[in-house]
Amino acid sequence: MFRVTVTGGKGGTGKSFVAVNLAIALTRYYEVVLADVDVEAPNDYVLLGINKLENEEPIKVFLPFIDTGKCTRCGVCAKVCDTGAILMPPNAYPVIFPRLCSGCKACYYGCPYNAIIKGYHVLGYTYYNKLLYNNKTLHLVTGVLREGEEHTPPAVLATRKRAENINGDILILDTGAGTGNQISLSLQNTNLVIAVTEPTPLGLHDLLSILEVVKGMNLGVWVVINKYGVGDPSRHLEILEKYGVEKIYRIPFNRDVVETYIYGKPIVLAKPSSIVSKTIYDLSIDLVKVIGGG
Amino acid sequence: MVRIAFPTDKGGLDDQIYPRFGRAPTFTIVEVEDGEIKDVRVVQNPGSISGSGAGIRAVQKLVEEKIDIVIGPSPGPNAYMALQQSGIRVVMILGVTVREALEKFLSEEKK
Repeated sequence: MFRVTVTGGKGGTGKSFVAVNLAIALTRYYEVVLADVDVEAPNDYVLLGINKLENEEPIKVFLPFIDTGKCTRCGVCAKVCDTGAILMPPNAYPVIFPRLCSGCKACYYGCPYNAIIKGYHVLGYTYYNKLLYNNKTLHLVTGVLREGEEHTPPAVLATRKRAENINGDILILDTGAGTGNQISLSLQNTNLVIAVTEPTPLGLHDLLSILEVVKGMNLGVWVVINKYGVGDPSRHLEILEKYGVEKIYRIPFNRDVVETYIYGKPIVLAKPSSIVSKTIYDLSIDLVKVIGGG
Repeated sequence: MVRIAFPTDKGGLDDQIYPRFGRAPTFTIVEVEDGEIKDVRVVQNPGSISGSGAGIRAVQKLVEEKIDIVIGPSPGPNAYMALQQSGIRVVMILGVTVREALEKFLSEEKK
């Protein structure tokens, strides 16, 4: 399965907008899997006009419990804990702070007395919706982190895993904003990165961050400058040349986008002849040239 | 004999009390017997360099050092729970040096 990760650093540049419309455009050629790995604020399903997320599965993360019958209070579990989630108090059994636990199982493997019981806690949920466009299936996998959870990466991984298990021709990963480890998890083992930016100083700043990450991970990157026409994109273009970005797409700042947002229908379906849709179709055709088949 | 720990920066009796508990670079540990200072030591706080769980690591260090009382700022939620579980008493005094805080604490204890 060919993997494309849509990202960009800054929030609100149109990552999900590009991912969703590109996914639909690609159903002209392929069975497409779209994974919404923006687990803190997933909303691809809203852009697709879906009312309800379906086929819920819990994301379970390891959480240790102490078997007080076996525990000798040696304190090894507290020492090996990488997140400082276990306290060894002076006159009691180890105390676990579930909020701090990342579920790494170091305590489970480190305990010399097998006194750690394997429990779990539910970090969030993944969902699967099956959609049909152009007589081809669009498989949507959505990850949702539970409110108040501090550990995002395991939820991103679980969502990605569920999406990778689907038998499609192409996987599109739609990430959240930022450049942290939850984003690099979506960039790992991907064939192509599509970075969506906008011609603003914030867009420029975060574009630089994401280009650095992508360069560090040795990945190929295409860039979409969304809302082209507002602001000054000259610095963006200079930087893209410096980083040797081979393909740049300019989505014009256009009323059609807002109108289709209001209808709640993706622009490539609602206004296929719009200049915006045309740019997305151009992108999809270039992808087909790279992927082949179709 | 009581062992009292103060979150500090460089440490020592004349250092200011550090405004954060879990992330303080050092703890200044003072041993007091019959109202007299018997010993002053400075230890590194492993919480100051840890990515997460700083409060827990700081308390773990205090447990290892057999601390009875912490004098300093209000601890964070994790450190608060950890201190309770470990039976370490918390006294909140801020904005002064270790020596001044200790004097204030001892004079109030006498009453």
